Amino acid sequence: MTLPLPEDDGGGRFPGLRTLELRDHWDEATSSLILSRVGRPPDVCFFNAEEEGIAAAMLDQLVGQEGEPRVPLVNVVDARLAAGETDGWRYADLPEDGEVWRRSVRFIDEDARERYGVGFADATAAQQEAVLEAVHRTEGQWHGMPAGHVWNLWLRYACTAFYAHPWAWDEIGFPGPAYPRGYSNLGVGRREHFEVRDAHPGEQA
Amino acid sequence: MRGPNPLTTARTLASIKARNESAWLLPVSSPDVTERMRRYEDDDEVDLVIVGCGAGGSTVAQRLAREGWSVVVLEAGPFWEPERDWVSDEAGSHHLYWTEPRVIDGEDPVPLGSNNSGRGVGGSMVHFAGYAPRLHPSDFHTDTLDGVGADWPLDYEDLRPYYEDMEEELPVAGQDWPWGEPHSYPHSPHPVGGNGEVFLRGAENCGIEARVGPVAIANGRFGHRRHCIYRGFCLQGCKVDAKASPLITHVPDAIVHGAEIRANSTATRIEVDERTGLATGVHFVHGGVERFQRARNVAVAAYSIETPRLLLNSSSQRFPNGLCNDFDFVGRYLMVQGAPQTGGRFEDEVRMYKAPPPEVSTEQFYETDPSKPYKRGFSIQTVSPLPITWAEHIAAQGHWGRDLRRRMSDFVHWACLGALCEFLPLPENRVTLDSEKDRRGMPVAHVTYSRGGNDKRLMKAAQETMEQILHAAGASEVMTIQRYAHLVGGARMAADEEHGVVDADCRTFAVPNLFITDGSVFPTQGSANPALTIMALAARTAARLAAGARQGVRRPTEAFTLQKES
Repeated sequence: MTLPLPEDDGGGRFPGLRTLELRDHWDEATSSLILSRVGRPPDVCFFNAEEEGIAAAMLDQLVGQEGEPRVPLVNVVDARLAAGETDGWRYADLPEDGEVWRRSVRFIDEDARERYGVGFADATAAQQEAVLEAVHRTEGQWHGMPAGHVWNLWLRYACTAFYAHPWAWDEIGFPGPAYPRGYSNLGVGRREHFEVRDAHPGEQA
Repeated sequence: MRGPNPLTTARTLASIKARNESAWLLPVSSPDVTERMRRYEDDDEVDLVIVGCGAGGSTVAQRLAREGWSVVVLEAGPFWEPERDWVSDEAGSHHLYWTEPRVIDGEDPVPLGSNNSGRGVGGSMVHFAGYAPRLHPSDFHTDTLDGVGADWPLDYEDLRPYYEDMEEELPVAGQDWPWGEPHSYPHSPHPVGGNGEVFLRGAENCGIEARVGPVAIANGRFGHRRHCIYRGFCLQGCKVDAKASPLITHVPDAIVHGAEIRANSTATRIEVDERTGLATGVHFVHGGVERFQRARNVAVAAYSIETPRLLLNSSSQRFPNGLCNDFDFVGRYLMVQGAPQTGGRFEDEVRMYKAPPPEVSTEQFYETDPSKPYKRGFSIQTVSPLPITWAEHIAAQGHWGRDLRRRMSDFVHWACLGALCEFLPLPENRVTLDSEKDRRGMPVAHVTYSRGGNDKRLMKAAQETMEQILHAAGASEVMTIQRYAHLVGGARMAADEEHGVVDADCRTFAVPNLFITDGSVFPTQGSANPALTIMALAARTAARLAAGARQGVRRPTEAFTLQKES
């Protein structure tokens, strides 16, 4: 499977890299963990149905996911919140993570309704992006929460869920787990036989 | 200074083995280690109960078990079996971090968890990068020399023999070290990957001295330790057993010498006898059940957040503001290092995820430079974020959505350096108890941090130097994020009780048989990663205890000779 990412957005740089095909070289503990991420997504149980729809759209926007296949971000984030799996800290001016997420989806939905007269999950991609960008640009409070700290929390959860997925690794040229095989060709410009050369190396970031 | 690099001669190995056999007892899951572990009853009054099985606690346990002391180590997290429990994956390593609730506050709140807080046998060193530099001699006298920070009640020379021992026992690999007190390392430097190559090239091009090392990854035969496979997942726990952590460097030897490592046991309170003024043991929760381990001596080694939290939570009639807190020092002078991280973009593929993140460092800017607008300094090291951490680096620049994806697709072209800036100890940077409670009903830590002016000027200078190095290496674009690394302080060491919590031997001024043997005793921190110094300090405390070089501590029946000092 390849995530749909246009070439202009960095898609297609590592043609043929399929991290999952390297799994015979992974240790058992790692292998079963990574394979679980491409298996059936965990059922949503922390968010209610309405929250799930908003959160799913929001998480997809945060990492630019449009179209299938997609990494099931809302299921992964939901499972973390249900398990209370935090990063081991919270800002003193925010409630605990689960509560921040519940408030976030409610407020982001309110913002969409106020701007466009339609709920966030039903808004167009451009409208969703505009609603989120407004939060990103907010200095100070957003619905009674410090916008910068809320944004930081959203991105931490979204990035962790997305870049833990092997399809995302394929997109960035990262070959994934490396035990017990390891690497033998170290150094600038050197590759292992299973690493794929960047097809567009001149692209500026 | 040690003589010529001894490498791993048979004689050196024999002398290390005679002092600490851990490397020859691996793997930790072998029956030799697990099935031989002695188990004490809660009612047994052991010679020493230690809270925390990380750098400080494991070292003390190993040293004193060898001296015949009965030792129990209470560890809140699990006893890891690397092959079963650890994965070659970022997100899947979440359980290595201390992720119980904590609240961060202040003008510059410091993220905890994966950033600096471990759990389980081996502690934070299970997921530390592996850098093992020494402090410089100047670090012990910053007040006298520079008029900032605080003087330690001991000198570099007091720690030197323990630094040398620990560098052999971890062991540490690196080039001959020209900074601080010049010294060599027992293992020769590792080959470097793309990121290290970029650093070396950039430093050379702009006239900055850089060296490969010092990293606590064996490079050559060392007991049953396997050789590094350069897979780059050092921060996710080394399944290879190449990178040092107390789980493989000190715990096995402690166990075969009779120590009990009691995992999944969270200390909640230290008990002090109001009449004698002595600690009598530690209350802990194991499997949801409250228990109490009796002991003749207690050592707390739970690191800079949990150690103050435990002391503050152990208030009593005698200590209404928290144990050992007569002078309001417990929890204060907490320190992190400013750790700005600068990425540089190269048209060539760097692939920084290959090879251990710790490769190359410079301490050229470590000492105070009178021509600069700040005191003390910084070090610079390679850091090699894996995809999730790199995504957070990109996101911290304000990128998200398609823009984030596009920049992430460029991952293989980036090199990354990190600085460690010596932040100064400030009394307002502290750990207090929050109104929120954890699942055991114990108040969680509330951690407040704000930078001073010197701290901010250091971070700016470090950023400029890293950007200079990367540009000199040929980077077409650089980007820097502000972050923090490591934890020390919170129960500082001092000459007397009016200036700190413990003395030079890590013994608390208030309770003669209570010790603090972790990074929380540091009065200052230098620009060095703290692990090696924590272990050296713990080894020194253990040697002092074993020698009975103190009054007020009931020592075991046999008399011991002091090996290192006298």
